[in-house]
Amino acid sequence: MTQSPTLSRRSTSSAPSQPRKSRRRGADARAGYTFLLPWLLGFIALTVGPMISSLYLSFTNYNLFDAPKWIGLDNYTSLFQDERFLQSVGVTMQYVVFGTPLKLAAALAIAMLLNSKRKGQGFYRSAFYAPSLIGASVSIAIVWKAMFGDSGPVDQGLSFFGINLGGWVGNPDMTMGMMILLTVWQFGAPMVIFLAGLKQIPADLYEAASMDGAGPVRKFINITWPMLSPVIFFNLLMETIHAFQIFASAYIISNGEGGPAGSTLFYTLYLYLRGFSDFRMGYASAMAWLLVIVVGIITLIFFKTSKSWVHYSGDSK
Amino acid sequence: MIDRRKFLTTVALGTASAAFLSACGGQSSTAGQTGSAENPVTITYTWWGNDDRAERTRKAIALFESKNPDVKVNGNFSDFAGYWQKRATEAAGGGLPDVMQWDLSYLRDYGQRNQLLDLGTVKVNTDAFEKSLLPSGQIRGKTYGIPTSTNAFAVYYDPAKLASLGIAEPDGSWNYKEFNAFLAEVGAKGNGTLFGGTDYTGIWWNFNIWLRQNNIQAFTEDGKLGFSKDDLKKWWNLTADLRGTGAIVGEDKATQLLPKSPFGSNVTATEVTWDNFMAGYLADSGAKELKLVPVPSDDPDNLGLFLKPSMLMVASAKTKYKDAAARFIDFMVNDPEVGQIFKTSRGVPASKTQRDGTTFEGTDKLVVDYEKSIEKYLKDAPEPPIVGFGTLESTFKRVTQDLNYGKLTVDGAVDAWFKEAEDLIKQNA
Repeated sequence: MTQSPTLSRRSTSSAPSQPRKSRRRGADARAGYTFLLPWLLGFIALTVGPMISSLYLSFTNYNLFDAPKWIGLDNYTSLFQDERFLQSVGVTMQYVVFGTPLKLAAALAIAMLLNSKRKGQGFYRSAFYAPSLIGASVSIAIVWKAMFGDSGPVDQGLSFFGINLGGWVGNPDMTMGMMILLTVWQFGAPMVIFLAGLKQIPADLYEAASMDGAGPVRKFINITWPMLSPVIFFNLLMETIHAFQIFASAYIISNGEGGPAGSTLFYTLYLYLRGFSDFRMGYASAMAWLLVIVVGIITLIFFKTSKSWVHYSGDSK
Repeated sequence: MIDRRKFLTTVALGTASAAFLSACGGQSSTAGQTGSAENPVTITYTWWGNDDRAERTRKAIALFESKNPDVKVNGNFSDFAGYWQKRATEAAGGGLPDVMQWDLSYLRDYGQRNQLLDLGTVKVNTDAFEKSLLPSGQIRGKTYGIPTSTNAFAVYYDPAKLASLGIAEPDGSWNYKEFNAFLAEVGAKGNGTLFGGTDYTGIWWNFNIWLRQNNIQAFTEDGKLGFSKDDLKKWWNLTADLRGTGAIVGEDKATQLLPKSPFGSNVTATEVTWDNFMAGYLADSGAKELKLVPVPSDDPDNLGLFLKPSMLMVASAKTKYKDAAARFIDFMVNDPEVGQIFKTSRGVPASKTQRDGTTFEGTDKLVVDYEKSIEKYLKDAPEPPIVGFGTLESTFKRVTQDLNYGKLTVDGAVDAWFKEAEDLIKQNA
């Protein structure tokens, strides 16, 4: 509410010093900000505000009920002596490191299959995209839980081939595999982006390569991969950040406890438990900010390294 | 079936809209708002429990509404674990339901922090209660909760399952060694399809009873731990030889049965827990009858047992309908017809009016008889748990699960629990 007058005042006050042209620019800016206003208000009230207050709370012992008391860096330092915290970091890193590349590989493979012109292509694309529409929902996590339970379809299917693993849901050594399968299965979003990227690659490049006698592997390495690299980079970045934020499916599959034996204790789940089960909101806020910082650093590293392998059209090379 | 589904939908919609409306309404008054038959006020009520309790609660609410046409009650429920996370979120946002079912473990957390209504300031009749029972709902002279019932710890068993294995029914006079041998026998004869029980060392209250049997206090007056690491080590070592055998159902199996218990799912022959689980277990398992005997003790004269005031009724400090909330609480704890609806599914009714007005037959009579049979062993209820006790209780369970998965040794488990407890006591100091 307080934001709009200041913005419009600033844009009008700059107008008189410069004639005509900038007056129109001022009017444009005013219109722009007006259209932006609903989003801006929401952004400030629902995102920036809570973020700032959580930054403050991360330096306090806030417990949801009493007034927060400043305790400096205590929350941050005690994090590293908390075994459950370290466990949650380990679990999350496993998920990010294995889940993301597998998901992207699946997305790229399917996108390449769907890129060729065949009958009923629209149907296939929709069919492959469908899991990611429903994948994030609560119901699918419940179905997943039933599928991987004792004598669930997966258990039975595997025993048909003589593999007896029992239920995955209750076995701490299998749950991570189950969670990764769940995310890989939801490859739809990156797949669509890959598909769009593949369409941008000029067909004559492939034709020329065929003339020179290049096989499919060669074509993939020397044409598809470099031409697609900006899209791969984008997907890698988005999916990595996304993977760090996994919460809902882990919460449902482990009944909100991160079990069995802490094997699905993802970072955000532990954060939630600390905040809302143990009433240690200050501690949870510190965890949240640490996550923001770490994801920020990882993004930065991605951007730095991207120069060596991502090729944009128009680059000299 | 349709009936229940319809009920659940209404409950969900009702709570959502009630929350929305209360968020919109800005007015408040000190006496609380009242309604009329034409224009009733709506209060929200939430509880934890299974479908069986939901069905009984629906009946009780309908009865209350027919007797109090000026009040409507919107009910909502969840399982125990998720229940407290929801309450914490609501408390932080200032939107706790008007009336709530409560547990002793969390009374201090919310009462001491001014989230609950002092029921001494409204009209709830407690004349029919044992005087020794009420202090457990009080903190610093204010009454925050009224117990609906009393619970006692017991060993449940399914006589039909024991008979099918050819094992004699226990009489409940056993020490831990004998109890372990009994679990092992069931496990051996059950042959992988029926297990002895769950790991009874994973339940805090069972540990608390064992401490009492050994004359050790769980918490000191000043809110510190009254027992040592060695005590806890001894406790968790009690079942060390049983873990991973047929005597104790594996954690991997138990996890998958949630939200049902292994006993309710007919996977185990026994369970050690509160006696008010009877109705729930019967409904879950479909067993014809279940029986109760006392917990084991190495001192036959000291079973460490006590009556725990349970399923307290509390109101939010911020409720706008104090009068309606008080009437609903009074109704739930005192009305004989409510006793008839719930029988012993909340425990044995704490109010004499309600207890006397309820006819107990069959398994309900077993529960009442059980509490009578242990009368001579009963001692005072334990000291009120410390702030943050709910976390300690759930950590206790989690650490024992890790123990059963073989992810922790007993020593490691003891260290993990003590670290959590010491952290928490320091936090709240």
